[in-house]
Amino acid sequence: MMDFQYGWLLNLIVYLPLAGALLMMFFINKENSTALKTWATLVVGVDFLVSIPLWFLFKPDGAEFQFATQLKWIPSVGVQYLFGVDGFAVLLILLTTLLGFIAVYCSFTAITERQKEYYVFLLLLQTGMLGVFCSLDFILFYVFWEVMLVPMYFLIGVWGGPRRLYAAIKFFLYTLVGSVLMLVGILTLYFFNSTGLAAIGLEGLGHAATFSIPHLYTIAPQILPEVQFWVFLAFFVGFAIKVPMFPFHTWLPDAHVEAPTAGSVILAAVLLKMGTYGFIRFSLPLLPDATLKAVGWIGVLAIIAIVYGALVAMAQKDMKKLVAYSSVSHMGFVMLGMFALNEAGLRGSILQMLNHGVSTGALFLLVGIVYERRHNRMIAEYGGLAKVMPLYATFFLIITMSSIGLPTLNGFIGEFTILIGVYNHSWVWALVAASGIVLGAAYMLWLYQRVFFGELSNEKNKDLKDLNLREQWTLIPLIVIAFWVGLYPKPFFDRMAPTVDRVLQRVDAARHDQGPTAADHVAELAHAPAGEAAGEHGE
Amino acid sequence: MKFYDLIWLIPVLPLLGAIFNGFVSNRLGLSKSVTHTVALLGSGLAWLLGWGAIVQWILDLGIHHTHIVRLFSWIQGGSLRILDGSLAEVNIAASFQLDAVSALMVSFVTFVGFLIHVYSIGYMHDESDRAYARYFSYLNLFMFSMLVLVLGSNLAVLFVGWEGVGLCSYLLIGFYFEKDWCAAAGMKAFIVNRIGDWGFLLAIFATFMVFGTLEFTEFFPAAAAHPEHFASAATVIGLLLFVGAIGKSAQIPLYVWLPDAMAGPTPVSALIHAATMVTAGVYMVVRCNVIYRLSPTAMLVVAIVGGLTAIFAATIGLVQNDIKKVLAYSTVSQLGYMFLGAGVGAFVAAIFHVLTHAFFKACLFLGSGSVIHACGGEQDIRKMGGLKKYMPTTYWTFLVATLAISGIPIFAGFFSKDEILFKAFEAGASDLNRFGSAYYVLWVLGMVGAVLTAFYMFRLVFMTFHGEFRGGEEAEHHLHESPWTMTMPLVVLGVLSIFGGFLGIPGKLFHHPEWNLVERFLEPMLLPIGHAAEAGHDVSHHAVSLGLEWGLVVLSVAVASFGIWLAYRFYMGAEALVRPQRLAERFPLAHKLLLNKYWMDEIYDATVISGTVKGSRLLWEFDARVVDGAVNGTALTTVGSSFMSGIFDLRVVDGAVNLIATCYDVASRWFRKLQVGFAQGYAMVMVFGAAILLAVYYLFKLN
Amino acid sequence: MTLAQFVPFLPEIFLAVAGFAVLLLGIPLGRGGVRPLSLFGVASLGITGVLVWLVARPVEGPLVILGDMLVIDHLAVFFKLLVLAAGAMAIFMAAGYLERYGYGGGEYVSLILFATVGMFIMASGANLASLYVGLELMALSVYVLVGYFKLEIKSNEGAIKYFVLGAASSAILLYGISLIYGSLGTLDLQEIRESLVAVPTANPMLVLGMVLVSFGMLFKVAAVPFHVWTPDAYEGAPTPVTAFISVAPKAAAFAMFMRLFFDAFAPGVEHWRVVLWVASAATMIYGNVAALTQNNVKRMLAYSSIAHAGYALMGLVAFNQMGAWALLMYMLIYAFMNLGAFGFVILLESKGYAGEKIVDYAGLARRHPGAALGMLIFMLALAGIPPTAGFMGKLYLFAAAVEGGYVLLTLIAVIMSAVSLYYYFRIVVQMYLQDGEEEGAEPAELLRDRWTEAMITVCIVATMVIGVWPRPIVGWAKSAAGALGIM
Repeated sequence: MMDFQYGWLLNLIVYLPLAGALLMMFFINKENSTALKTWATLVVGVDFLVSIPLWFLFKPDGAEFQFATQLKWIPSVGVQYLFGVDGFAVLLILLTTLLGFIAVYCSFTAITERQKEYYVFLLLLQTGMLGVFCSLDFILFYVFWEVMLVPMYFLIGVWGGPRRLYAAIKFFLYTLVGSVLMLVGILTLYFFNSTGLAAIGLEGLGHAATFSIPHLYTIAPQILPEVQFWVFLAFFVGFAIKVPMFPFHTWLPDAHVEAPTAGSVILAAVLLKMGTYGFIRFSLPLLPDATLKAVGWIGVLAIIAIVYGALVAMAQKDMKKLVAYSSVSHMGFVMLGMFALNEAGLRGSILQMLNHGVSTGALFLLVGIVYERRHNRMIAEYGGLAKVMPLYATFFLIITMSSIGLPTLNGFIGEFTILIGVYNHSWVWALVAASGIVLGAAYMLWLYQRVFFGELSNEKNKDLKDLNLREQWTLIPLIVIAFWVGLYPKPFFDRMAPTVDRVLQRVDAARHDQGPTAADHVAELAHAPAGEAAGEHGE
Repeated sequence: MKFYDLIWLIPVLPLLGAIFNGFVSNRLGLSKSVTHTVALLGSGLAWLLGWGAIVQWILDLGIHHTHIVRLFSWIQGGSLRILDGSLAEVNIAASFQLDAVSALMVSFVTFVGFLIHVYSIGYMHDESDRAYARYFSYLNLFMFSMLVLVLGSNLAVLFVGWEGVGLCSYLLIGFYFEKDWCAAAGMKAFIVNRIGDWGFLLAIFATFMVFGTLEFTEFFPAAAAHPEHFASAATVIGLLLFVGAIGKSAQIPLYVWLPDAMAGPTPVSALIHAATMVTAGVYMVVRCNVIYRLSPTAMLVVAIVGGLTAIFAATIGLVQNDIKKVLAYSTVSQLGYMFLGAGVGAFVAAIFHVLTHAFFKACLFLGSGSVIHACGGEQDIRKMGGLKKYMPTTYWTFLVATLAISGIPIFAGFFSKDEILFKAFEAGASDLNRFGSAYYVLWVLGMVGAVLTAFYMFRLVFMTFHGEFRGGEEAEHHLHESPWTMTMPLVVLGVLSIFGGFLGIPGKLFHHPEWNLVERFLEPMLLPIGHAAEAGHDVSHHAVSLGLEWGLVVLSVAVASFGIWLAYRFYMGAEALVRPQRLAERFPLAHKLLLNKYWMDEIYDATVISGTVKGSRLLWEFDARVVDGAVNGTALTTVGSSFMSGIFDLRVVDGAVNLIATCYDVASRWFRKLQVGFAQGYAMVMVFGAAILLAVYYLFKLN
Repeated sequence: MTLAQFVPFLPEIFLAVAGFAVLLLGIPLGRGGVRPLSLFGVASLGITGVLVWLVARPVEGPLVILGDMLVIDHLAVFFKLLVLAAGAMAIFMAAGYLERYGYGGGEYVSLILFATVGMFIMASGANLASLYVGLELMALSVYVLVGYFKLEIKSNEGAIKYFVLGAASSAILLYGISLIYGSLGTLDLQEIRESLVAVPTANPMLVLGMVLVSFGMLFKVAAVPFHVWTPDAYEGAPTPVTAFISVAPKAAAFAMFMRLFFDAFAPGVEHWRVVLWVASAATMIYGNVAALTQNNVKRMLAYSSIAHAGYALMGLVAFNQMGAWALLMYMLIYAFMNLGAFGFVILLESKGYAGEKIVDYAGLARRHPGAALGMLIFMLALAGIPPTAGFMGKLYLFAAAVEGGYVLLTLIAVIMSAVSLYYYFRIVVQMYLQDGEEEGAEPAELLRDRWTEAMITVCIVATMVIGVWPRPIVGWAKSAAGALGIM
């Protein structure tokens, strides 16, 4: 189950930014901005480089968790220092290190004051996020999960826009409430695995006390349905807020709008993935029974998010808010695919997590670029930019297309795979969800038209500079990935496949004691006269 | 290495051109000659390679062999349990296929595409270098998408091209993006197409759910083998696919984008919005003929939508005064005929009409482009007239194409259109799928449509080229024939508009069915359904006697000539332009109705669009007020209760506090008061609290 | 009765003597003598610590001395060392503060020492009588400490309030004790336990006794609804005293709490548990909610300390091994993070007065990044955000409650700790997110005082180290808790 080869690599990746931050804190003068920038860029750059080997060293047919490290931390309560990643986590780690690099690189001119603190917080944030993806011990995971919040709070609160205080604390409190509830869920699982919960007369399984996730996977089938239900609920709140799922999404627009560009990029590209990551890593495999029961509800919420997010995005006057709401819609797709609970759905869901990271990350970068020039995000302020900033317009168009799922770009592969899986689960869901593609095109193209086309009416825009080299290089990697995923996603699918299979095995293990599941139902239809069968699904 | 193993290069060559022009010559602003050389190389080589591949394929493998070139495995979605309970692997390949239909399409798409590239050199020479490069890179990109569309060997790859052409048309319509209405038209086109794509996507998923594959060569035979087994599934898939076709090929109710699409440069209108892209829907329906033939319902729906669109658009075309608008509506109407053909099972005729239409409609658009070019951008035919003597080449080619579209014998349009109408009648006669009466009605519609077509097309010719020039003095000085780069394509297409039809001579009439080359060529695409010889198609041969068939031919010719005669009466000679005036005055309402295109755009704006926008605004309010309000509300209540509790703490001990504070350093008799005062404060809290706790305790004790 | 019997009692004796010595030395030295006296006091606390260790080292099981009045076991040692540390810090931190406001050190130090003696007895009392004596000794010294700044009205006010309310609570406590004595005829914890096991505890008088005793203890730990004295006393008292009483007496009270309820009254758990459950929930909710809108840092920290007492009570409610050692551990961690936080309150001065308003922290991060970082760490710790000790402390308490099956209580606790973040971060907002240039904000100055800074540093290190490497502490707390009856 665990492969300890190259265990040090993960630790290096996770703690390099932390070390960099500490060194920066103690040895670099806060006035010396070039040194700060160079050092920060160097650290995240190296971190990205050292994370690349994961891509090649990971063995899809190998152990479930690789590059593992296992140390005693608080033995008396069975808390371990347990690191390890599967293909899914590898992809997210690479996404994180890359976006981390871009986030630093795009801040050179955007952040002019208190730079030292800024870069320190960015680096700490990196460590926190990477730690989350590496941890295989619930407490360790939880520690990183919360550590992450603090730097993000400051990034929004110190370098954010006018309503930054409100947005920052809202972000912190909202997500914190979710995560503390999750903690209760974790503890319940922990005691159910070992001694049980005395006063409510819940017998434990009597295993050695441990927070080790690999171990808890093994007991998943024995977890009583009621326990699963309550723990699932606790986890759900925690993760749903992070995703964010309707109706827990309202912190997102505020946080995005107020955060500095780099903050928005990280927030959209990585932090939102924490929620979906949590669902796939914990909720589904640990609580299969509850998962199967929840499918209907979460599916509906996801569909609402898709349509609702898209419609609300259409009404926005502020570019960042528009992109923020588009995130709600896109993450709806991710959740929907996940809870189709079949291979295509889950694979698409994971791929879409990456795609959303790339596309929306890039969108925030792009918005940040004009914001830096004009200090204004109102769509109405712009128009006809394609004339003065042709290259910018081109990049923006490519990213727009990737975000609305144009074939040969990443978004399409994700949505297509998700929807084919969803259709397989319920054609009605697919029917409604697919309308999100139309709406997506509508609000993105409308945005594009209002910003780039038409007369260059606004005097202030007459002499805007087109992208400079640094700005181009923050975007080019993302565009390259967008095309890569769009044209040849196989390497990504190959790496995530084992994760998907294992998760589904664990979920299906709980199916037999369920009622007739989707799959069985389909099987029945097959035996019934074909006419009906087809009619059944085509009605 | 045979050419047909390189068919993947056919789309890729223009793509390279697009990339070069888009990122190199556009960024560096290279000279026009470099730009169009590259662009021409891209499309020209694609053309040669395409034809080469087709020839070799016919010679080496024969038209019955479907040649598939599988590049790589594209999407791996894992395995899914499909409708029959078995597990199917979602493993979609990037692969291309060369067979009768795609060969036919490739042959004319590459060719017409190339011609229009050539034409564009002349037409766009006034643009700035960068815009010029942008234009040609889009045009090449379009070639790429269109060729992927026709060559794709499965629905997913087809969809790639499908969306690709949508993107290119978006970019090209919005080519003059400084003009708001151009950009708006582009957006409209893309979004309306997206609505269609929504159906297409669902069709893809349904197909996979039913057959467990998206490869044409796999699920067509499967479906054909068990017609009754897949009947209802075919209805679903067929209808969903048709939703896509409606969007792409501008049929009712999604036709609205095409007239606006005329905002793009005229060559683009010729290539994309007449010859190729808009016919993609027809191509797709024909390509999936197996599915449709399994489902009478789907067939009928296709036929009805086609028939209605044909006449509906034609009526609008009667009164339009923008030369390109007229052509646009005529395109919509012609596409309607194609779907009518597909709907009555005349798939060959449908695709044949696609072919001929490509020739004469491209010719017409390029001709109009040449006219507009001459008139310095003027598009209103009321400000033209008598251009015949200034630009003869344009005139003659235009006339030829007009005769073709009107369905005058020996001209290309005649053969294809007449075939469709005949098949419609036949469908009625043979009571196809027991919907005979419906098909009769559709046939009548088609005939009426033919009259209208002939009428408004000749109205166009007469008003543009005959009579006196109405554009004013100094405009008249600038009138001139266009450069050879523009006229040459006109001539070529004109010739093809004359002779193109001979590919599909209705040989049956002469007891020589083998004369109909198109039918023979496309025969392999019509897989036999089930074990029985296929329905509707062969049987019908006996439904209509040869004599009657001849009669129908004569009738349709008569009908067309009647239309022309009417146009002549209205728009030529002394009475020109007066009669229509009178007519309009006699039926003002009808005239208004047509002039304003039945107010369809206005209706859409009022309902769908403003509905969505208003709805989204409402939802936003909801989000800010209710959803977020709940969150902030909780916060506020907490803080509020915080104030309360703070006050409570103070108040409770306050009496005591103040007394203590004041009395502390004073005498002891004060102290007594203090104690009294204090006792109250203390009693209040302690006893209160103690009481509660005791109460709680005994409460729990009891049960 | 030989002298040998008194050997185990040596620490208390020594400390008492030292207290008197300080008092005497204080007279000649007067105001100048703050630092020497403080050194002396801390030294004697140190020596006491050594003595405690020496005395406890040979002991295997619990050692009962002075006619079963006191017991020396790991639990006692744990709390003794804890209060010693707290006392020492309180003295060190105070030195600069006392000088600044011109108060002598003699009484201060000696009172701290006397209070410590009292807490020693609370920690190791084996008999209701001795426990009560220790309690009063501690309480009286603390009353005086609260009123130490005799020229400040607020100080006196707090002292009086604390005194009278304290007296009242002692009365309740005594009444409870008498009821127990009346129904069982003994004050010895062991015997009480045994007779409780023997006698069915349905006897209402006895139950009432236990409940009333719990009320008395709830007052000492400042639990709702017996908390009303806390805000005023904390706000009024000189900041070092506030720091001290928010930590040491609370810890000692919990020690006594555990002796009584985990040992003597253990068999009657079903009777008192519900009371503590309600008290715990009410305390967490009330303390945290009330703290939200306090603009005076000391008052805010007062409410926060109420809230923390609520968390700690969960350990008692859980009534299991984990609950016991989690509570111990929490007391230790809480001591460090709270003392550290108060350390900054001590150092902060605005316009010649103690900087006690939250706005006084505006822009601290600009002017004193180090200090701001330290305060940030304490605030995060108090809010229970990893990787600080605060998280570890809460984790085990919550875990204990869940293990006990009190999920609802845990839910309340976690939600409330999330809420608490808001008011702790009001300070952080001032420090980092305001630059102190806004109108109305007169940023306070951070005074230099090596001793206080040293103490703060100790607290920071402890908070971070325990947060990342809690293993040794957990081990110690576990062994200490092992001494209790229920284990």
